Parts: sequence; C-alpha cells; structure tokens
Amino acid sequence: MTGSRREGALGLALVLPPLLLLVFLIVLPAITAVLDTLAPPPGASGLTLARYAQVLSARIVRADIAFSVVVTLVSVAAVFCLSYPLALYLRFAEGRLPAVLAVLFTIPLFVPVVIASFAMITFLVNHGLISTVLYHLGIQRFPPLVYNATGIVLTEVWASIPFAVLILGAGLQAIDDALIDSARDVGAGRLRTFVSILLPLNATPTMIALTLLFISIFGSFTIPYLVGGNAPQMLGVTMTNYLTQYFRRAEAVTMAVIAFAISAAVGAVYVVSVSRRERGTV
Amino acid sequence: MGRAGRRWSLLVAAGTALAVLVAGFGGPGPAGAQQPVTLNLYINGDTNIFDLWQKGFIPAFTKRYPKYRVNFVGLLHGNGSDGVYDKILAAKRAGRTTDVDLWETEPGFVTQGIPEGLWVKLSAKLVPNITKVPTEPLEAADYYGLPYRGSSVVIGYNSQFVKTPPKTFDDVVAWIKANPGKFTYCDPNTCGSGQAFVTAAIYRYVSPAKYAGKGYDAKEEAAWEPGWKLLRDLQPAMYNNGFHPNGNVAVLQLLAQQNIWMASVWSDMGLDFYKRGQLPKSMRFTQITPPLIGDDSRVTLPAGAAHLEGVLTLLNWLLTPEAQMMVIDMVSGYPGIDWKYMPASVRERFKDVAKGFSPYPNPKYLADVKRLWHEKVVAGQ
Repeated sequence: MTGSRREGALGLALVLPPLLLLVFLIVLPAITAVLDTLAPPPGASGLTLARYAQVLSARIVRADIAFSVVVTLVSVAAVFCLSYPLALYLRFAEGRLPAVLAVLFTIPLFVPVVIASFAMITFLVNHGLISTVLYHLGIQRFPPLVYNATGIVLTEVWASIPFAVLILGAGLQAIDDALIDSARDVGAGRLRTFVSILLPLNATPTMIALTLLFISIFGSFTIPYLVGGNAPQMLGVTMTNYLTQYFRRAEAVTMAVIAFAISAAVGAVYVVSVSRRERGTV
Repeated sequence: MGRAGRRWSLLVAAGTALAVLVAGFGGPGPAGAQQPVTLNLYINGDTNIFDLWQKGFIPAFTKRYPKYRVNFVGLLHGNGSDGVYDKILAAKRAGRTTDVDLWETEPGFVTQGIPEGLWVKLSAKLVPNITKVPTEPLEAADYYGLPYRGSSVVIGYNSQFVKTPPKTFDDVVAWIKANPGKFTYCDPNTCGSGQAFVTAAIYRYVSPAKYAGKGYDAKEEAAWEPGWKLLRDLQPAMYNNGFHPNGNVAVLQLLAQQNIWMASVWSDMGLDFYKRGQLPKSMRFTQITPPLIGDDSRVTLPAGAAHLEGVLTLLNWLLTPEAQMMVIDMVSGYPGIDWKYMPASVRERFKDVAKGFSPYPNPKYLADVKRLWHEKVVAGQ
C-alpha cells in the first residue's frame, strides 16, 4: 500500500516538470491566443469570428494557406514513395551493402536544416551543379529548381527521408518472418506479399509517419524561408512576416490558430492510429 | 563580552560587509574609480558592424580610457532585439538599473520606448561633441539616440555592361526594361536596399516628407497605387522573371556572379565588398537624383543604464575624428559628424555617392510598404 503510494508519488514527480512546462508554455498561451483572436472590438461583448473573416478575406493569405497544404501533401507523398522501398530493402536485403546504406541514409538527420537549405541552393541554383549537368546533357531550358515550390519540396524530402525510413523500418522489423514465409509457401509473389501482408500489418506505423511528417513540414520555417520564393509563401514565413515585419500581431496569431486547426485535424489521425495500436497489443 | 556578545559583533560585521558589497555593486562610489568599469554594449547589425566595434572602436576606446572594459553583445540582423527591449522595459517598470548600457537598434524600438521614458535625451551638456553632428538626424529621433554613422542605398552597376550610368530613377526603370533579367532588388521584408528601390517607386509620385514624419493614416496609402503599378509592370523584366532574393548580401552575390548587372545596394556594403575584391573590378556605384533612402545608425542610451557616466564618455569619443575615420576605413560608412570635419581625401573618395539621402517612411508606414509590396507586387503576378 505505502509502496504503491510512494511509487505513485514518484511517478507524479517525474511527470510533473514536463507537464508544468506543457501547461505554462504551450497550453495556457495557446488558450489565451485563441481567446485573443475571438475577442470582440472594444466596447462590444461576446465572441466574434470577425478576425478570421478579415484574415481570410485577403487573397494572398488564402493563397498562402492553400500553397502550404499542397506543398506539404506533395512532400509527404514524395517522402512516402521514396522511403518505403528503402525501408523494405533495409528490412529484407542481407549482406554488407544494406548495413552501410542503413548508416548513410541517416546522415540528413545530423545536418542542420539551415546548412541543408544552403547546400540545396548551391546545388540547384541557376549556375549550380544540377543545371551545369543538365546543360552538358544538352538540356538548356528547364524550370527553375529553387526559390519556388519545387525547391521547398526537394529540400523537405531530403531532410525527412531518414525519419520516415526509421519509423517505417521499425514497423517492418516487427512483422514476424513466419508470416511472410507462410505466404510464400502458399504461392504469394513479392507484390502479393507486400500488398496483402506487409502493407496492412505496417499500417499503423505508416499512419504515424505520415501524420508526423505532415505536421512537421506544414509548420516548417527555415526551409521555406531560405529555399522558397517571394509569393506565395508557406504559413510559417507568412506568420513571421506579419509578426515581425508588418507589426500585425493579431493577424499573425489568427493565422497561427488556423495553422493549428489544420495540424490538429491531422494530429487526430495520429491519435486514433496510436490508440488503435494500443488496444491491438493489449 | 560573552559568547552571545561575540555572536552579535559577528553579525554586525557581516551586515556591514554586506552593506559595503551592495553599495559597491549599486553604483560607482568614490572607491569605484580605481576598479575597472565594464560597459555592456548591445549592438544590432551585420558582421561588418560587429567587426567595427570589436576590432575598431572597443580596443581604441579602452586604450584611451583604461578604466573602462567593454562587454560586447552582438545581435546578428537584430535577432533577439525583442528580448533586449523587454529587458529594458521590465527594469524600468521595476525601478531598477539595466545591464544594457548602450543599444544600437532599429528606429521602431526607440519610437516604441519614448512614451515609456526608456531613453536618455542627449544634449551638448551630456555629450559635448554632439555640436559637430548635423542637427537634422538628431532631431529626426528627437535626440533619443546618437547618429554616429550613416549610409544610404545607391545604384551599383557593372560598367563593363552599363556604359551610361543612370542619373534618375526613371533612367533606372528605362534601363531595366531595356535589359530584362539583369536587375533585381532584394525582398523588402529582408533588407534595406530592397526597401529603397520600392520606396523610390512610391516617392516617384508622392512627397516623401508626408510619410517620413510622425503621423500615420492608412488612408494616405492610396496615393501609393501608381508606385505599385510601376513595380508590378517591372516584374517580368526582373532577374529570373521577378525573383527577389532574401537579404542585401544575396543581391551582391548576384552582382558578383554577373547574373545581374545593376541593383540597388547599400553604399557601405557595396564599397566594402568592392574593396575586398568580392565584386568585379568594373563595379561602380552612383547616387541618383532624387537620392534613394538612407539612414543614420543610432546608438541609444537606456535611462536606467547602470554605467551612465562611462557610456557618455564612450559616446563623446565616438564623435572624435579618430573613431569616425574607423567608420570610413572599416565599413565604408558615412561619418556621423559633418563632412566638413573629415579630411579632404575622404570627401573626394565619397563624392559620387555622398549626396544626402531620402528619408525612410516612418516605422508604421514602412511596415505597410513591406506588406503591400508583398500583396500588390509579387502576389499580383
């Protein structure tokens, strides 16, 4: 009895610091921010959506929101398509090469995004490596690869692949070899094994990877700031401009709440996936 | 004396020691003259300005006044300025001194802090050398800040490709249209040289004085419409079909790689890059008429600065020819004191660019210039 109480107290003590941090640095400011955006003009009472209507009435803000969502979805899709085969290869291939590759592909994890962004710029810019190679191949006219959506997607993909491979790979690792072997025994080919066994069994890690990727790319600032163009811009850059350049705090906060709502909707998918897995294992 | 008495005397001794300590930290007492006084300078700027302070001003000043030491805090591109402002404001509201003895920052923060009584109003009584400074830049900030150096935006051009340098803003516009893809200015959200080109387009149709003063009325911005149209029409003729890079340096790099042949650049940065051989030998700089915007960089003195006397000594020294020559030699800036106090050779070197400059719009109008440029010029494509 006392032992369990002491354990409970210890548990609480361990949880308390991060919990307090969460409450005072994230939850409370977020609540006040939301209330701020709903506050009526001086003299009136009640809550109003006027600020949202005002912010969303600007064509450029709507364009930035749509741009952010599209760039994020394209980046997530590209990351998924590139990292799934890599994760499969690392799971099933044997020998020294996969072991070396497994180390190599994590490199972007250890490169700060600022450096990665500048590296991408020198790589992709007009007189950069890629354009020089294309030029020597006889391709002289091609769309600009940097300072636009293409540049953002390429850099986000480069920076996100290791994370996606790690999560997808961990999920694949957890699948019992016996299941795959028995599928092969009854005559399933590679594609069939992938579609009927691996994909469904790995669905939860996949959902987790996709949602976390969406949230982190959607909210990114450094990459779109450095690699993106003048307009449209991603919401992280737009919000920063409204706050620090245009001195329009109210609009910046309103956009932040909108961005939060979009991320929260995607986050809900994550929560559902995780809780389904918890129920599944218990 | 018994044991109790001894304990009491110990307490008294400890109390006295504490009092002396507190007094010693509280301010420069008579004994403080022997102790070195450390001044904390918070300087906002690019690395060239950090070098000017750390390799120029500070060693020379501490050599001349050995009783002072300097603790330099660099705020690169103004990062962390909000925190410094909050710190000064919090100290003021709590009635304490602040360890920010001197702050070089953007006019926006200074304007914001005036009603709060955050700054020292300078005068010839506090800083005798201030009489050498032209009155306009002092009055522009109501004497809340010392304009110790200046620079303006000028037109940089590669004389290998540009045979007749532009003399007016219309000349520049005509050249851009005749040479598509060979000009750009940086995103005005990220740099002053871009703001200069954008305001030049606006000032083409309105009087700068109206927007440089202290008043603000968003309705007055309707008069900027022709300026926006001019800029929008120029977009297809800009580098890369209308791309504006982030920051002053990015534009200089485009000039260096000869991707572009002309751009608006800061006089000090352009001359400095040229001097270091980072721009083509054929690069030249010229000021157009009416001149592009420029600004005096000010250092502002918090009213609650802990080492007021030392900072005033530093400010007075900053206005001596010794310090002002460092501005010229190290960052190719304009002197804070009147040109007539500078050597003739210096005046000759700067004759093409030092023609005064147009005023910045006040911080509120400037914020709207940046926002509307984004809305009406680049997003309107």
